[in-house]
Amino acid sequence: MSQAPPANPEPLLDEGRERFAAASSLDELDAAKASLVGRRGALTAVQRTLGGLDERQRRDVGARINAVRAALAELEEQRRAVLTEERDRVVLAAEAVDVTLPARTARRGSLHPIHETIDAMVDVMANLGFTAVEGPEVETDWFNFQAMNIPVDHPARGMHDTIYVQPPNPADPPGSVLLRTHTSPMQTRTMLAQGPPVYIAVPGRTYRQETADATHLPVFHQMECLAVDEGLSFADLRGTLAELCRGLFGPGARIRMRPDHYPFTEPSADVDAWVPAVGDWVELLGSGMVHPNVLRMAGYDPEQSSGFAFGMGVERVAMLRHGIDDLRSFADNDLRFFSSF
Amino acid sequence: MRVPLSWLHRSVDPGLSAEQLASTLTLGGLVVEAIHRPTAGTRGVVVARVEAIGPVPSSKLSLVDVYDGREHHEIVCGASNFAVGDLVPAALPGATLPGAVRIERRTIRNVVSNGMLASARELGVGDDHRGIWVLEADAPLGADLSEWLELDDAVLDLEINPDRGYALSIFGVAHDVAALTGAELRLPELPSLPLGTATGVPVSIADPDRCPRFSLTRIEGVAVGPSPAWLQRRLAAAGMRPISNVVDATNHAMLETGHPVHAYDLVRLAGARIDVRQAATGETVVTLDGVQRALDPGDLVIADASGPVGLAGVMGGASTEVDETTTDVLLEVAAFSPTAVLRTARRLKLFTEASSRFEKTVPPQTVLRGAARCAALLTHVAGGRIIATDDVWPQPAAREVIRLRTDRVRRHLGMDLPDQRQAELLESIECRVEPSAQVAEGGRALEPNEGLLAVTPPDYRPDLRIEVDLDEEIARLHGYEQIPERVPCSGRAGGRRPAHAARRRVREALAGAGWTEAITFPFIGPNDLDALGLPPDDPRRQTVALVNPLSQEESRLRTSLLPGLLRALRRNVNRQAADVAMFEVGAVFLPPTPQEPGADGGADGITLPAEPLLLGLAACGHFEALRHDRPARPADLADLLGAADTARRAVGLPLLEVAAGTEPGYHPGRTARLSLEGTAIGVVGELHPRTIAALQLPARTHAGELRLDLLTAEGVRLAAAVVPDARPPLRFDVAVLIAADVPAAAVEAAVREGAGPSLSECRLFDVFTGPQLGEGRKSLAYALRLEAGDGALNEIDEQAAITSIEQAVARRVDGRLRRDDSAGAAAQDQRR
Repeated sequence: MSQAPPANPEPLLDEGRERFAAASSLDELDAAKASLVGRRGALTAVQRTLGGLDERQRRDVGARINAVRAALAELEEQRRAVLTEERDRVVLAAEAVDVTLPARTARRGSLHPIHETIDAMVDVMANLGFTAVEGPEVETDWFNFQAMNIPVDHPARGMHDTIYVQPPNPADPPGSVLLRTHTSPMQTRTMLAQGPPVYIAVPGRTYRQETADATHLPVFHQMECLAVDEGLSFADLRGTLAELCRGLFGPGARIRMRPDHYPFTEPSADVDAWVPAVGDWVELLGSGMVHPNVLRMAGYDPEQSSGFAFGMGVERVAMLRHGIDDLRSFADNDLRFFSSF
Repeated sequence: MRVPLSWLHRSVDPGLSAEQLASTLTLGGLVVEAIHRPTAGTRGVVVARVEAIGPVPSSKLSLVDVYDGREHHEIVCGASNFAVGDLVPAALPGATLPGAVRIERRTIRNVVSNGMLASARELGVGDDHRGIWVLEADAPLGADLSEWLELDDAVLDLEINPDRGYALSIFGVAHDVAALTGAELRLPELPSLPLGTATGVPVSIADPDRCPRFSLTRIEGVAVGPSPAWLQRRLAAAGMRPISNVVDATNHAMLETGHPVHAYDLVRLAGARIDVRQAATGETVVTLDGVQRALDPGDLVIADASGPVGLAGVMGGASTEVDETTTDVLLEVAAFSPTAVLRTARRLKLFTEASSRFEKTVPPQTVLRGAARCAALLTHVAGGRIIATDDVWPQPAAREVIRLRTDRVRRHLGMDLPDQRQAELLESIECRVEPSAQVAEGGRALEPNEGLLAVTPPDYRPDLRIEVDLDEEIARLHGYEQIPERVPCSGRAGGRRPAHAARRRVREALAGAGWTEAITFPFIGPNDLDALGLPPDDPRRQTVALVNPLSQEESRLRTSLLPGLLRALRRNVNRQAADVAMFEVGAVFLPPTPQEPGADGGADGITLPAEPLLLGLAACGHFEALRHDRPARPADLADLLGAADTARRAVGLPLLEVAAGTEPGYHPGRTARLSLEGTAIGVVGELHPRTIAALQLPARTHAGELRLDLLTAEGVRLAAAVVPDARPPLRFDVAVLIAADVPAAAVEAAVREGAGPSLSECRLFDVFTGPQLGEGRKSLAYALRLEAGDGALNEIDEQAAITSIEQAVARRVDGRLRRDDSAGAAAQDQRR
C-alpha cells in the first residue's frame, strides 16, 4: 500500500483567517465555516486522509488538525461576535416596523347592555341562593293583576297602561290576555307549582302602553325577586337589597328605604341606592313583604310562611352602571352605542 | 298635595326647616317631590290706602295718591279697578317682587312714579291680573305685605300614594308630622253643627255602598265677594285659584280636612230635594267647567227634581253654581266609594281635586269634620248663619278592632321592638291600643311571649284594615332606617336553569365571534310578512294580534325575528354603518298547538300563545374587522354558518347537519337548512333580491333564524374528553373528484365513512374547478388525521385507509380520488 504524503492542515488556518475576516455577514461566515470545518469542508477532507497514514504520522497530523480546528473555531467565534454585534446594530434596526399600526383583531361583537345587566343581576342573586326563572310575556289578566292583589277596580290599575292581546282562543273573554306589565306573574306561577321555600329571580321583558321618550319605553325589562320561607323578615329583605346594590354598583354602594305602597306587599318600601359613580342617592326599586293575600292566592299559609319581593327596572340599573341618560338608546340598536360595551 | 308650612304650623310645628321636614316626611312615607317658595322674596310692599286718583296727561294712565299710614306716595298706574278709600299693595321704590323683580322710582310720561301698585299675580298670589289687588277693608294699613301674609312661606309638594289618602289634607299631614317628630298636634277645635232636618232639603241615597254618608248644611244670608287676602294667598300657595269667599271656603276645608265640599246655590236647586242615585240612560249634566256630559248608568250623580246637578265626587253642575248673587247655600260633604268615583272620572277623563281624594278613600266617619270646618270658615269670611246640617248615614260603621300579635311583628320586621314601643308608635298616629284578651285567633293558646294588642285605628286612617297594615305603620314610625341588614340562607345553590345558562353561553360566544346583540320590539305590522315573501299558508302568517297596539305598524306579535332585526340593520346602514353583523335572542309568538303549547292559562283555562325562543342573525357589508393590510371580505353564507356553529359549539352539541334548501325570502341557491341530530333547527342564507328590494336592504344581506330553544333544551352538553395518543398520528391528504353539484357535506360524509373510526380530523382545505378536471366537475381536497387508540399507524394503514375512502366515495357520491401530484402539490401550501 503506497503511502500518500501526509496532508498539511496548517495552510487552512491562514485561509480561514483570511476568509473569516472577509465574511461581511453571518451568512457568509457560516458559509466560510462550512467550507473549512463542515462535513464537506477542507479540514474534514484533511482529516479523511488520516486513515492512510501510519500510526506515528496519524497521531502527529491528528494533533495538528485538532489544533487548527480549535484555532479556526476561535477565529470564527471572534468574527461571529463582531458580525452579530453589527447585525444587531444595523440589520435589526433596518427591520423596524411601525408598532403603532392597528392591532390585528377579530371582529368586535358585544352583548346588549340590557342583557348584560340582567346577566350581572342574576349573577348576584344566584350567589345569594336565588334561582333565575322566566315566564311567558303574554299573560292572563289573572296572573298579571288579580293574583297580585290588584282586582279589576283597583286604583293601581290606573298606573298600568296595559297592552291587551286578542285571546288566541276566541272563546276566552276579551281583556283576559295581555302583555305582562311586570315580571311579577312568575311569582304566582312559581308558588302555584311548588311549596315553600321559594327563592327566585325573574328577569324578563315587560310592556306598557306608553310612547317612547327619554324616560319611558313601551317595551322594557324588569327583574323581580321573591323569597318565601319560614321566618323571613323585613331585615332579610334589607340585607338582600344591600348585597344586590353592592354587587351591581360596587362595594361603596348603600341603600336607604322609604315607606311606599304596592298592592302586593305590606309593608312596602321604596329603595334608594347610593351609587358611588353617581355620587348621589337615586331611586332604584320597589320592595316589600309579600302581602298575605298574595300568599293565600298561591295556596300558601301566611301564618306559616312569610316572604319578601322586590322588582327593579333593568334599564334603570344599566343607565346607572353605564352613565346613560336616555332610555331610547336601549331600543335604538345603534352599533355606535354598542361599541362602547 | 301642596302643603304651605305656615298652614301646617297652625296644627303642628316641629321647629324644623322646610328641608329637614321634607327629609323626615320622605323617609316616613310621604314623599316630598319639591319645595317651592312661590311668593318668597317680596320686600318693601306695604298696605296703602288710595287717597286720590288723578289723570296722567295724554294717556290712559292714572296718577294715584296712596297713603301708607306714615306718608303719601304718588304712583302711576294703568289699572282702574279700584276707588278712593280702597286698600291696595304698594311696592315702593327699592321694593322687590317674586322672581327678583326690582321696583324703582321712574318717570312715566313726564310724571314721577314712586313705585308700583301690584296685582295679585305680580305678587305670586293667584293668577288674577285684571287689575290691582284690592285688599279687604280691614287690612292693616301700612303693614309690610310679606310679614302680614307670610309670603316667605315654603310649600312642600307631596306625592301621595294610593294608600295614604289621608295625607291629601293638611290635618292628615299634621298627624304624620306629629308622629314622626314627636311635636305636639294641635288640631283646631271644631264647632258643633245644628244637626237635624231643618235644611228643608231632604236627601235620599239609592245605593249606600257607593255613597255611605251624605251631609247637607244650610247657610243663609251670605255675601259673596272676594276672600280676604290671607285666604287667597293660602289657597294660591296650595295650588288652587282663589274664586270667591264661598268657593274658597269650600276649597280651604277640603285642603285642610281632606273632605271635598261642594256649595249649591239653594235657590237654584229645583224641587228642594237631593237624590244620590245612578244616572239614567240619556241623562246629561253641564259640569262647572261648562262642558255638557252625557251620563252612563254606571255614573253616580247628585240630582234634584230637575235631574242631575253634579257628578258625585267628581265635579258639581253649572246650574246650581254659586255666584255673586247667591245668598243661601247648601254645603255637601259626603263619602263616596273609590271605585264609583274612579269609574266616572276615568270614563270622562275628568280628574279633579275631589276625585283624587275620593279615589284614595275618604272615610265616612269624619264627614262632619269637613262640614264643620267649612261652615265655620264660610260664615267667617262671607257672613251668614248656619241653619242646620242634615246628616244621612244609613249604616254607621265604627272602626273594627285589629288584633296585633307583637311577637309576630318582631319576627316579621326582624326588629326587637318591645310591646310597649309598638303600642306607643301606634298611639302616636291616634290608634287606640289596649291589651287584648289572652286568646289568639282560632282559640289557640298563646305562646308565653306572644303579646296581643287590640288596636283600633283612628277614623282618619281608612287604609289600616288588617294586621300587616300595622306592621308598616310600626316600621315606618320607628324608622325603616333602623331595620337591620340580614342575608337569608336559601338552603340551596342558586343559579340558572340549564337552558338559561346555555343561552347565555350562546350569546357570549356570538359576541366573542364578532356579532352584536340587538333587542328589538317584538311587534310587527301587517306588511312585514309580505316583505319577507311568506306565502299565504305560511304558519308565521298566523299572528297574535294586539287590542290596543302602539301603532298600526306594531299591531301584531312577531312570528319571526327577521322584521325587527332587518329594520335595525337597515337603520344602521342608513347611519353610514356599512358593516353590520347582529343577532337577537328572543321569543316569537305563535298560536298554540298540541306540539307547541302555550303557558298554563291558570284556573280559568285561558289559552296563551306558544313563545318559542329563536336566535336571529343578520349581516351585511364586510364581516371581518377591516385592516389596512388585507383585502376586505364581504359577509357570506359561511359567516352565517359560522355563527350557527359557534352557537352549537357553545353548548357542546355535535356538528349541525347542513343541507341546501329553499325558504321564502331567501336566495334559492344560497340557503342552508340546518338540523341537529335529525331535528330541523333553522335556516341561514343570503336574502332573496326581492326581499332585499322590498326591505331596502344592502345587496347581499344575509340572515338566519334558529330554534334556540331546541339548541339549549338540555343545557350545556358536557363533552366526553378525547385524550390524545402520545404516538404520532398519521396525516395525509385526499382529493376527491366529483360532480360539481354534489354537496360538500355528502363528500365529507363519504370520506369520513371510508376513513373509519380512527379518523380524528377531516378538514376541507381546497375546492378546485378547472378545465383539466372536465366540465361539471370539481375537486375537494381534505387533510386527514388518523389516530388509533391502540398503537402507531404506518404506511400500510394509510394505504388501507385510502383504499377504503376511495370505495366509499365511489359508492356514496360517485366520485374518485385524484392521483395527479401537481394538483396535490399546489394545494400543499394551503394545507400546511
